[in-house]
Amino acid sequence: MTLDAIRQKMKRGDRLSFDDGVVLFRHPDVVAVGQLANEVRERLHGDRTYFNRNMRIEVTNVCVASCLFCSFAKLEEGAPGAHTMRLEDAWHELEARMDDPPSEIHIVNGLHPGLPFSYYEDLLAGFKRIKPDIHMKCFTAVEIHFFAEHYRMTHREVLERLRRAGLDSLPGGGAEIFHPEVRSRISHDKAIADQWLDVHRAAHALGIRTNATMLYGHIETFEHRVDHLLRLRALQDETEGLQAFIPLAFHPDGNGMKNLPAPTAIDALRTVAVSRLLLDNVPHLKAYWVSMTPEVAQIALRFGADDVDGTIVHETIYRAAGSRSPGSLTVEQLVRLIQEAGRIPVERDTLYHVVREHPRAALPEAAFKVRERNAAKHLEVLP
Amino acid sequence: MTDERIRVAAVGYLNARPLYDGLDREPASARIRLDCASPTEVARRIAEDEADVALMPVAAAATIGDLRLARGGAIGARGAVRSVVVVAERPIEDIEELAVDLSSRTSIVLARLLFRARHHGREPRLVGRGPREAIAHVGGARGALVIGDPALAIEGRFPHVLDLGLAWWEHTGLPFVFAAWCGRAGALSSEDERLLDRARLSGLDRRDAIADEHAARTGLSPASLRAYLRDAIRYDLGDDERRGLERFYEDAASAGLLPRTRVRFFDDDAHDAARRPAPTASLDGLLARAEEGERLSAAEGERLVTHASLFDLGLAADAVRRRKHPHDVVTYIVDRNVNYTNVCTTSCRFCAFYRPPGHPEGYVLSREVLGKKLQEVVEAGGVQILLQGGLHPELRIDWYEDLFRWMKREYRLGLHALSPEEILHIARLEGLGVRDVLERLHAAGLDSVPGGGAEILVDRVRRTIAKAKCTSDEWLGVMRVAHQMGLRSSATMMYGTVDTVRDRINHIVKIRDLQDETGGFTAFFCWDFQHESGTRIEPGDHGTVLYLRQQAVARIILDNVDHVGASWVTQGPEVGQVALRFGADDFGSVMFEENVVSSAGTTFCMNAEAMERRIRAAGFKATRRNVHYDWLTPPA
Repeated sequence: MTLDAIRQKMKRGDRLSFDDGVVLFRHPDVVAVGQLANEVRERLHGDRTYFNRNMRIEVTNVCVASCLFCSFAKLEEGAPGAHTMRLEDAWHELEARMDDPPSEIHIVNGLHPGLPFSYYEDLLAGFKRIKPDIHMKCFTAVEIHFFAEHYRMTHREVLERLRRAGLDSLPGGGAEIFHPEVRSRISHDKAIADQWLDVHRAAHALGIRTNATMLYGHIETFEHRVDHLLRLRALQDETEGLQAFIPLAFHPDGNGMKNLPAPTAIDALRTVAVSRLLLDNVPHLKAYWVSMTPEVAQIALRFGADDVDGTIVHETIYRAAGSRSPGSLTVEQLVRLIQEAGRIPVERDTLYHVVREHPRAALPEAAFKVRERNAAKHLEVLP
Repeated sequence: MTDERIRVAAVGYLNARPLYDGLDREPASARIRLDCASPTEVARRIAEDEADVALMPVAAAATIGDLRLARGGAIGARGAVRSVVVVAERPIEDIEELAVDLSSRTSIVLARLLFRARHHGREPRLVGRGPREAIAHVGGARGALVIGDPALAIEGRFPHVLDLGLAWWEHTGLPFVFAAWCGRAGALSSEDERLLDRARLSGLDRRDAIADEHAARTGLSPASLRAYLRDAIRYDLGDDERRGLERFYEDAASAGLLPRTRVRFFDDDAHDAARRPAPTASLDGLLARAEEGERLSAAEGERLVTHASLFDLGLAADAVRRRKHPHDVVTYIVDRNVNYTNVCTTSCRFCAFYRPPGHPEGYVLSREVLGKKLQEVVEAGGVQILLQGGLHPELRIDWYEDLFRWMKREYRLGLHALSPEEILHIARLEGLGVRDVLERLHAAGLDSVPGGGAEILVDRVRRTIAKAKCTSDEWLGVMRVAHQMGLRSSATMMYGTVDTVRDRINHIVKIRDLQDETGGFTAFFCWDFQHESGTRIEPGDHGTVLYLRQQAVARIILDNVDHVGASWVTQGPEVGQVALRFGADDFGSVMFEENVVSSAGTTFCMNAEAMERRIRAAGFKATRRNVHYDWLTPPA
């Protein structure tokens, strides 16, 4: 199966198969694959490229799971570096930013065995008290599944209680790689693929929108990646509840797979492109700049991605794994990053309602002046 | 009050004078500001928008591309021209080596086409010489292409002469046009064209007087010059001349000697606009020609960089890369960038590295420190030192000579040292010529010349960002001399300050032009200005997407430069890797240290293993190279 045959297939409106996905991942010319993905992206979104004002909070890194790829979680309360935020301190993160508030708070945590369920309910409710219209995108499916087991509820019950407390949507984390050959080796003691998918299915049934991710570039094969994407495509056929897919590059520093190299930029672009092509039913594809650096994210906006996530403000998970991306970007920096790619920046809310459409750069893709550029580049020393 | 007259430039040769003779007098001078200059300079002014219209050689017009011609007047010949000739002691078909003035592109292309047509595709080897040396060079199988006054002065001296005007006439049955009035679309109104034509008519009336004046100045025979201006040179640009020019452009493009060029007149645009939009070659056609390796004009380069999609550029650049390097191998070098001093007198606004003389943070590296660095390179399996520094006012040439000899003796590493700016600085300091400096340094151990300091080879840009630095011509001049001596060099471009798309393309075309002359450039690298604390200029065009586009277009335009390198040091290892799929076949250098870019805040390090991993992940085999891009390890 050649790229041309795949192009013809897409032209006819036929779905790409597992084998097509593997061919695309293995194709030597990443630029040609990117071009194909870009056609899909432009058909769906034109030049519009989304971002939002969000902030990330990780309230606890105490975790009963022992994922090999994780540099963030500390196993037990009291272990060196382990921390659990007091609710007041978590809420203060938002209070401190109320002069220029985010529209979304994105919370992802370790699986803490010692907190009452009310901690999470109070956490959500507290943010809503401070800013009633804040969108709470909180807890991965892995956390929801952990809550269900730990507090003896069904997925649906957990979701309903959290929603009453203020939950608006679920982030896409914890998906890693679904295939058991990989999952059993890198994260054997947390939600398995079907449990992860069940949580999302339950959320979608309640009208809660979610995202989905894939952690690539460690021990998995291209076949595992395609399998992962097709499981998500099948879920989306069923529920249509996924908003965005976010490929996450594995970063090796300080975790159980630190002897592995990180995937390269070419792999990042290829994964964005093939994901865009296979996930024909998921509307948005994110170039998560924290994972791939703002520079490569800019290129990814021409390889299939239509979203760069948001301002982030305070990310600790990738930082712990050695990401050299800056900790946050301003709205101006995001707008410029998108304009420099020749795209139209669109500020959105979490559910992709347009907040503000910015102008495209006055001159074509290649030629425009920017006033100021904070090239926040950090030291990278590779082994 | 600003001068709003049309800026007209003309080649100041005798045969051009009848065309512009009346322009510096009333009434034309009220509308036109005339300047005379060399053919190269006249072409430069049009390329860099410092002149609106120029009487310029037709090959230079093709290189700039998308220019319009004024109707009516041109410098041409129908048959013998007398002033563009190949001379030899033996029959022309026996010439094996031809001395030429390498800057005279039109006559060189004409000579090459005629040699190929007359001798079944065979042509002599070209060697660059000034007119006097070219004539002295004639003997045995060595001929010379002689143009202008020197050609008229040697009439009758050599037994075998090929008049290129006559040869073209015999070959095609058409006149040849050497030069014409050219400018960008819209530069001349029909009224302005009439001014030029009236000047021509009055100039033609003064031909005898012009010939006599020139004879008095040069000592050439007045009768001969009168006949030359009256009979040999033709000043018409009618349908026959147009067909002759079209034929020349067609043949030259097919032979890969000039960009493909259509002959268009200023008033064609007005006519087309009245009927339908002006026809332009499709972008797809342009990209296909680029992939085939056809030479593109500067105007076509501008169109690509402005309008082609990132993918089309990437795929076309990759196709060019693959044609030049079919083995899918990407090279890198293990070397070390050592900055021997940060003391510098130029205070460039984009530089955060330099310290002015007397500054407490100024340094000159001691032998001890240098020796330690060099030893580390030897131990890491490195093959060369890239040695560059500021323009230190007290380091004399013997300091460099001693240093080079010591480095060569003690460490036996390749010495890729001193950018053109530093060579010029030493020349000024010592009151020596560039060639003298390079010869002494070469004797002391200099192996090759790095292409740094080129920034943008457009003087308007250089004056803004680096006032004290050498001019574009000086930079290119040092490289020309180095190449003539057999020293290879790289070429670079730093964009993203006050430069425009046109400036960047002009920069690349200047490198291509010099490469046509010398063949001395090994590789081209570009990057954008790294704006950080310590720099004193606002950034201009930026972004990683632009970087990829810029590099891809450079790969496409530089059809005569073997290698293009990705600048991961400035763009980061990630973008550097992606750039390998946008036309680059080299990944630059393993980084021990680099001080100039890192002073501006960018600091990346990458060892050989990480470089090779990225090269392979981009779909290539990796191999180490030396400065000549020879493979030092089996690609893997």
